[in-house]
Amino acid sequence: MSKDKEIVGYRQQPGKLDFTRPGSGGSSPLSEDRDPEMIPASQGGELEQPWGAHRHDNLVTGRVIGKRTPLIDGKWKVTGQAIYGDDVRLPGEIIGRLVRTDRHYAKVLSIDMTEAESIPGVIATATGVDAPSAFGVLPVTKDEHAMALEKVRHIGDIVACVAAVDEETARLAASKVQVEYEGLEPIFDMRDGLKNSTDPIHDRGKYHIGESNVQKRVFQRFGRISDLEKSMASYDDDWTFKGVNHGFTEPHAVVAHWDPRGRLTLYTPQQVPHYVHRALADVLEIPMHQINVHRTYVGGGFGGKSDPFPHEMCAAILARKSGRPVRITFDREEVFWTNRGRHPSRISMSIHADDKGRLSGIETDALIDGGGFASFGHVTTYYNGVLHTAPYEIGAFHYTGARVWTNKPASGAMRGHGAVNSRCAVEVGIDHISEEMDVDPIDLRLANLLPPNSATITGFRITSIGMRECLEKVRRQSGWDEKFRKMPLGKGIGVGCGFFISGSGLPIHWDPNKFPHATVHLKIDMDGGVTVHTGAADIGQGSDTVVGQAVAEVLGLPMDMIRIRSKESDTSPVDLGSYSSRVTFMNANAAVSAAMEIRSNLIDAASELTGVERADLVLGDRRIFNKKDPGVGVSYLEALHKAQEDKGALIASGSYRTPPMGKMHKGAAAGLAPAYSFSAYVAEVDVDVETGKIKVEKVWAAHDCGKALNPLSVEGQIIGSCHMGLGQVISEEMKYGRTGNLLNPDLLGYKIPTVHEMPEVVPIIVESNDPEGPFGAKEAGEGPLLPILPAVCNAVYDAIGVRVNELPLTPDRLHRAIERTCKHKGVKDPRDLPNPSLQKGALSDVLIARAEVHSERDKQRRLNPNPEAYFNGQLFNHLTTGPPEEHDPEWTIQVLPDEEYLNNPKLAGSAWLHKERRHMEESG
Amino acid sequence: MAPQPLPLADDAPVAVWSAVVNGNPVRAIIKSHDVLLDVIRDGIGSLGTKRGCDMGTCGCCTVMIDGKPRLSCLTLAMEAKNHQITTVEGLSDGHYLHPIQDMFAECGGSQCGFCTPGFLVASAALLDGNPTPTREEAMQAIEGNLCRCTGYQQIIDSIMSASKILSEGSQIQATTEPASDPHPNSRG
Repeated sequence: MSKDKEIVGYRQQPGKLDFTRPGSGGSSPLSEDRDPEMIPASQGGELEQPWGAHRHDNLVTGRVIGKRTPLIDGKWKVTGQAIYGDDVRLPGEIIGRLVRTDRHYAKVLSIDMTEAESIPGVIATATGVDAPSAFGVLPVTKDEHAMALEKVRHIGDIVACVAAVDEETARLAASKVQVEYEGLEPIFDMRDGLKNSTDPIHDRGKYHIGESNVQKRVFQRFGRISDLEKSMASYDDDWTFKGVNHGFTEPHAVVAHWDPRGRLTLYTPQQVPHYVHRALADVLEIPMHQINVHRTYVGGGFGGKSDPFPHEMCAAILARKSGRPVRITFDREEVFWTNRGRHPSRISMSIHADDKGRLSGIETDALIDGGGFASFGHVTTYYNGVLHTAPYEIGAFHYTGARVWTNKPASGAMRGHGAVNSRCAVEVGIDHISEEMDVDPIDLRLANLLPPNSATITGFRITSIGMRECLEKVRRQSGWDEKFRKMPLGKGIGVGCGFFISGSGLPIHWDPNKFPHATVHLKIDMDGGVTVHTGAADIGQGSDTVVGQAVAEVLGLPMDMIRIRSKESDTSPVDLGSYSSRVTFMNANAAVSAAMEIRSNLIDAASELTGVERADLVLGDRRIFNKKDPGVGVSYLEALHKAQEDKGALIASGSYRTPPMGKMHKGAAAGLAPAYSFSAYVAEVDVDVETGKIKVEKVWAAHDCGKALNPLSVEGQIIGSCHMGLGQVISEEMKYGRTGNLLNPDLLGYKIPTVHEMPEVVPIIVESNDPEGPFGAKEAGEGPLLPILPAVCNAVYDAIGVRVNELPLTPDRLHRAIERTCKHKGVKDPRDLPNPSLQKGALSDVLIARAEVHSERDKQRRLNPNPEAYFNGQLFNHLTTGPPEEHDPEWTIQVLPDEEYLNNPKLAGSAWLHKERRHMEESG
Repeated sequence: MAPQPLPLADDAPVAVWSAVVNGNPVRAIIKSHDVLLDVIRDGIGSLGTKRGCDMGTCGCCTVMIDGKPRLSCLTLAMEAKNHQITTVEGLSDGHYLHPIQDMFAECGGSQCGFCTPGFLVASAALLDGNPTPTREEAMQAIEGNLCRCTGYQQIIDSIMSASKILSEGSQIQATTEPASDPHPNSRG
């Protein structure tokens, strides 16, 4: 392509832009200053807000927010100039290689490095004794070491590391490390983890739970438990979910450089650079200020790069020993050994509904397989329960959960953290209940939703909720009423809903009362461009873009006047990282508050220059003017230069902290968030009843993200979530053989859907305008994953009448389920299976009428600035005001099991049969 | 003292390798068993080509050899000796991006961006041969590439938009404000 046949190049080319001299503002057509269509009606614009106002209404200039905005770093990525972990090449670098064990579970007796060290070209080696300090992402469960100290806990666990001049030498040296082991009895079945063991995989001292491998256990009972027995319809099934890996395309990589001044710079593709920073200081035993964590571009995270990792410690140790930059890059197989993917789990789900079509209770028992380490597991154990207490109003909630250690790669956080599997079981259960009650499953859901500004049964504060609109939209757009239970055998349609946190209410490491969750610094110098310093990790989701958008919107600037510096801990304020869908909510809120300060400075200056009252000045497109007489104003640069007199560059800092929330019981903080997202999907599938092969044809995906700051990104997140969830439902699983070996640690055996498996996705954005979100926004990164699993499972039932309780629905697995159903129903040929049908019963009208009343109630509540308090339980007329436990004598809040339960516990609940060692000592 | 032979971990025979990479003649000393991906990344420093799986499953390492998309992790460097190789860096002409690059950035075809070079090369190869592909043809062109972020839909959208630009010569509709001028429409 020749230069004279110009298509479009980079925009900053000489002669392409008409730069003008500064100081001449004010002559632009006034209609372009602000975009009235994007400005809220309350501020004189044309944007209607049927959902009420948000806290940044008065800052909207209508320039950037809500418009499709390409990623601010997109051009780096498409030109191959983006530097990912393995692309960091420093002068004098050497290559590190990790020595991984081939044992499931063994004591390390000795490690002999002499042969490895004798190989010419080997520069440094290290073993566990070089870094004995423990680390882990959660302060309460630090159970990892850079390299094994006493034991190896799964195949692929790291025992030593070597660094050499090139990769061949490093690989050769790693293969020559001699390790002597004493084998221990490994466990692979998570149910075995509940039993006592002679060698528990970890030892937590006096806090250890019996002699078992239970890492965390949860017991929760809320509401009127007696109501659980009075049910008209119920669902009861035991689910099995396989482990799922994130499958990001970039394998882990790290470069450590100990500079001549004695400071460590660690280049790593990380979602949580700050936690890495802390862990490095612990493990290397140096102060944090001696470390600079440089986040490179991240080739996909999805939760899989949100732990501090042993290989990062190893690189730093090797760099310290050798005095040279060390680069370690994983093979794909090593990514699977590191894992931190979704927990394999066994979930027993019971759902009850009463004669009025209300959900009188949910009982969940979830046993999750944590693999060799704790990782985020403490939180995951709670999330498997508490994240299905909404969007429905429920009479009672009983959750027992346990996470056990097994001799497999560690499970951890993955997109939809902890909520995905149990949500799938809940939504399939609701589908089953509506079948039993002869009602449409969407009608049942619409009649049982929590209203805006309410509290869930566990005390989570729901501010905005767009669940009803999500359901109504997917129902209308998918043609649900014409299709549901009306399609021929083999074709089906199903619905599922989702609910997810928008940022975790409590930070992992900080005292929530003293430190903010997110901080953003702004700097504007003479040139007028805005430098945004933030520690938020852009992992491809577009967090740099959204923070830039927030600043650009408040200051009335176009996006290319914003530049983001978010990579280095030396220059960025601390941010907790990209997990629990917190970045847009918290970081953009912090960015807005910093930009407000700059805005105030600019208005001061403009007021001085024009003599217009401060209150009358507004910001528009690179201009500050009198809203009563828009011809009177100054340009952005004029105001800026005035504001900079005597002080130079303008700087501002903004931060965000969650408001006080939640109840006081043990575990009350897990699942607390400043806002929650909601979603509803309808999936249409085609099932070959003879082979069990599923083709998902189309998905209508509605997600309530509060306000789509960047609709392009939100749609990308929705479609991408569909893809990842679809993988878990149709093909992805980490397969373990009978002897506990991972059979498919590669992308050939681990089946990520390709473009051909991907259905057409219709993303539908619902904007509920959260009162506390930045410009009304909530999360869109994880929540959209949840509904796809149950939507497909329910569509399979609609297609062939087979209820599934095991994922993924690979053809062999579904075929077995079809065979079972045929046997159960006495059908010989699966083509003769009865096609499910729906004759709406009397309850149907009751539900539709209630949904209409509730719909009106919700509209009133969300527009009312001070709505009456609403607590879960009011649907059951349990009470009218105040937290139920204060008024209702039958209302239970119980976080420890009683004798009665322990006489007949469920699977995960049996973890409570063990006493903690400290209690055994007391009683013994 | 007489010089001693160097004790090397890997004493495979070396060869002089040459090829035309992104329009420029390149020469390198390689080991005869080196795969093309290693030579491209480590030998000639073209780091835009990514390593995702080393076994031909993810497509991140796709490069064009004589205009055809090939997995460089499964190609011996010697097979590509003296051929024309195009990597993602070779798609643009200086500051002038290939429409497929511009559209991936504008239409959401790239999120984390790690698989993007492979997708770009595969789809640029498609558009070179067929500037007006159908959606199905576009899907076939990228069936060997895995993307974990986008769910492929916005990638197909990007290819179709680029096809429109190439076939109709239409200009890219920038969705951001194009000018950095802090004084819009004012010429003092």
